[in-house]
Amino acid sequence: MTERKVGVYICHCGGNISDYVDVHKVRDVVESEDGVAIAKTTMFACSDAGQQEMIDDIKEQKLDGLVVASCSPKLHLLTFRGVAKRANLNPYQYVQVDIREQDSWAHREDHEGATEKAIRLVRAGIAKVRQSQPLKPTEVETVKKALIVGGGIAGLRAALVLADMGIYVYLIEREEKVGGWASKFSVMYPHDKSGKELIGELLSEVAKRGSKITIFTNAELLKKGGYLGNFDITVGIGGDTNEAETINLKVGAVIVATGFDTYKPKQGEFGYGLKGVVTLPEFKAMVEASDGKLEYDGQQVKNVTYIYCVGSRQKADVENANTYCSRYCCNAAIHTSTLVSKVDPTVHQFHLYRDIRTYGKYETLYEETQKMGSVFLKFDEDEPPVVDSSDGTLRVRVKDLLTDREEIEIDPDLVVLVTGMVPRENAGLTNALKIPLGRDRFYNEIHPKLRPVETVIDGVYIAGAAQGPKNSSESVASALAAASKAAGLVMKGYTELQPLVAYVDPDKCEWCGLCAEACPYEAIEKSTDEQRGKEIATVTGMLCKGCGGCVPVCPTDAIQVKDYEDHTIMDAIDALLEEV
Amino acid sequence: MEYDVLVIGGGIAGMESAINLGEAGYKVLLVEKEPSIGGKMILLSKVFPTLDCASCISTPKMAETAHHPNITTMTYSEVMEVKRNGSGFNAKILKKPKYVNESACTGCQDCERACPVNVKYDEFNFDLVGRKAVFIPFPQAIPKVAVIDIDNCILCGACERACPASAIDFTQVPEEIEVNVRSVIVATGFKLFPAERKPQYGFGKFKNVINAMQMDRLLAPTRPFNTVLRPSDGKEAENIAYVLCTGSRDRTVGNPLCSQICCMYSIKQAQLILGALPLADVTLYYMDIRAFGKGYEEFYKQTRDMGVQFIKGRVAKIEERENGNLILRYEDIENGGRVQETEHDLVVLSVGLLPTPEITSIFKEEKLELDDYYYVKQVDEDLSPARTSIEGVFVAGTAYGPKDIPDTILSAGAASSEATAYMETTRRQK
Repeated sequence: MTERKVGVYICHCGGNISDYVDVHKVRDVVESEDGVAIAKTTMFACSDAGQQEMIDDIKEQKLDGLVVASCSPKLHLLTFRGVAKRANLNPYQYVQVDIREQDSWAHREDHEGATEKAIRLVRAGIAKVRQSQPLKPTEVETVKKALIVGGGIAGLRAALVLADMGIYVYLIEREEKVGGWASKFSVMYPHDKSGKELIGELLSEVAKRGSKITIFTNAELLKKGGYLGNFDITVGIGGDTNEAETINLKVGAVIVATGFDTYKPKQGEFGYGLKGVVTLPEFKAMVEASDGKLEYDGQQVKNVTYIYCVGSRQKADVENANTYCSRYCCNAAIHTSTLVSKVDPTVHQFHLYRDIRTYGKYETLYEETQKMGSVFLKFDEDEPPVVDSSDGTLRVRVKDLLTDREEIEIDPDLVVLVTGMVPRENAGLTNALKIPLGRDRFYNEIHPKLRPVETVIDGVYIAGAAQGPKNSSESVASALAAASKAAGLVMKGYTELQPLVAYVDPDKCEWCGLCAEACPYEAIEKSTDEQRGKEIATVTGMLCKGCGGCVPVCPTDAIQVKDYEDHTIMDAIDALLEEV
Repeated sequence: MEYDVLVIGGGIAGMESAINLGEAGYKVLLVEKEPSIGGKMILLSKVFPTLDCASCISTPKMAETAHHPNITTMTYSEVMEVKRNGSGFNAKILKKPKYVNESACTGCQDCERACPVNVKYDEFNFDLVGRKAVFIPFPQAIPKVAVIDIDNCILCGACERACPASAIDFTQVPEEIEVNVRSVIVATGFKLFPAERKPQYGFGKFKNVINAMQMDRLLAPTRPFNTVLRPSDGKEAENIAYVLCTGSRDRTVGNPLCSQICCMYSIKQAQLILGALPLADVTLYYMDIRAFGKGYEEFYKQTRDMGVQFIKGRVAKIEERENGNLILRYEDIENGGRVQETEHDLVVLSVGLLPTPEITSIFKEEKLELDDYYYVKQVDEDLSPARTSIEGVFVAGTAYGPKDIPDTILSAGAASSEATAYMETTRRQK
């Protein structure tokens, strides 16, 4: 019999669990488990009242272990560790049991089975918490400096705001000059601001910050070492990485703002390659350069036909399909058409689209261009427009859904392919930082709804179009948001590292190096144990992520992860297998 | 009392701004006019495109806000006045009486059960079921404290007698609190378009015409009926229509803007309905499907593949049949533009967002400017999206325009970032 006093709470999750699992039965069964002092059901364990009830119980009954059977620990592990902390219970003496994602949701058709599984899972949780020891996170100082990768509008804006917060900034840019895409545009929606001027404004502000911001161009991130709040970054400067000069930077946080590329149509895709077929960025440059009249190849342009969603919203069976919507292109194309009308109001403009996505206030741009005379034709994704010039005339054929699928022929002077955004080729950087990519091959955030600038790599944030298509002001907003998260990490001057790390039993260890090979974080090194007169493995706790990769490879069972020791896991498995 | 930042509004924009600032070490006062923090998001069922349960992902934010050592939260309180005071601001806040002692109430709901007054308004379920005159706002409310709706209370004392914690206190009076802050973040959110303003759709007149917020409640884990029932006769709906752009992209109601979220929330609800009522047909009547955010287009495609019907055409008029079913009249644009009439047994109006311009009146001496559409004006959208016409006052979330949740989180990050930079630079200048 154990001396432990464990509190067990089984959550209804407002029906998400209790519609399928008999939570009262689970409570009744586990109540008599060894060490359980109190077992209750609760409507929403995560609600304030639910949390308060646990805190009161822990304090009154002097509990030394807490089990909450609810949702995935991804959602509420930190919530309930917080509960333990507020009740003066060590947060690492809390175990979360997932009876929602791994039980009630998975077995909706089998209530009895789901209930039995819940009982087993909760028993295993109780077994685990019985073995738990109080653990303390390691507090480490953070470096009040940040590294920004990418000197486009997002990177530059993040640099400024961080400098203003009193954080020293290094910014590295792969190209010869900072400024990115925005610096190539002279007029951008929605305020007709010049991208060149915006970048100019940012650069003059950067200059005013003096030594608080250091910019390296022709520079690439080669390696990231160190740990949260104390990263060691190796940067290669100057062209070919073999001959590159390298510098080492110590920073507390990293913001990746490497931007996007524009989609390059394949030869023949909507007539690409034919004379008179251009992409939106190419067309935009022509419009911006036009002086009073729009010309192409020495001829005046009187008819422009836009084809939308080129390289976006592709069918999944296309090779390397971009199934996503590129978000900015409807707005950008429509804004460009208003510029064309301003240059020469007599130009006929036809927009062949699938859905016009001028979301929010951009809707007024759509209204404006219709008033200026742009004509919109909607095509079916299965019957896209066909562009050819086989008889010497550039011709577009489209079946217009708005006029009963009538086939319409247009002989434009220019076909503008409204091309979307694609992720940048950044294999080296992605490898060095280990940031995961999404299905769309843009950098993936940790949670698309609530944590859009954070990544699974603590201390590494993503901003701007590197995370997914965005226009310039949206990129700026996300850069500022990333800066806010970085500031939260480095401004306090310290952060806590989780204590669930590997440790070595020096008596058992006979240094073979297998654990060091298995460690993806370079956290294990060989050292000499003077006392025992042998070489053993040593774990650097600040680098260890507690992944456990080292544990199964050890031939002498000398390495363990705290709170996940073999005997704890065996106990949990035994409890799981016990008859219900 | 002194704080670094006053955050007005406790929805996700306000909470996210407050948490960011609290994490960076600033003292934050967050003021929410409703009895609980959480805003609109906590009322939702699931969110697109991940179908995360909205309350599961908002409650951690709510709890973090409420328990953060650097954040003080005031609910059921309104900021009445903000005035410049030296390099910062002086704010007057009215704390409305809940008639319940907040520290004594345990949220047990005995008062609710004892109260004899049924009120037909219901802020949580959007009038679907009504509530009592004393009520807990909703199951995950923070703070989970009862509030007495004094306008409907008959002062019978039943709640007082029922309360095991003696928390009911009819002697409470409004309290005015004055604070000094260095910076202000306006995160006052949006209003839903009142569907009555499109009388041709019959909302408020035809029982089976509901708005999308009501449908979200019908689908939520804390749903009132445990299935999707239509209001007129409690029958499970079999053939549901969505009317998109209700009150958006519509100059006849004075709102030319696209509300940015209705396409996606309607698509999300369609998926959830297919789960709740596997035999039901769902049809969306739309102008353009605006699935523009990360993962949205793929979610839209998946919904089409699941069998949800999408018909391009704006609904002109809805009529009610004797059995409560509804006839939708619309132009079927992609099929020759013929005027069609189709019968459905439940109609959901995908209402858009409207601004909350009232917030400008609290700013004295300096003017918080609005844009052409009565949203808080961004004076430098391109480079400082959170900046307003008043130095030191920033804006976050839908207070400056329609936004989905990820964009709201980004804008809240921008506001906290700019407020931090503002406070640090003014501090250094001093």
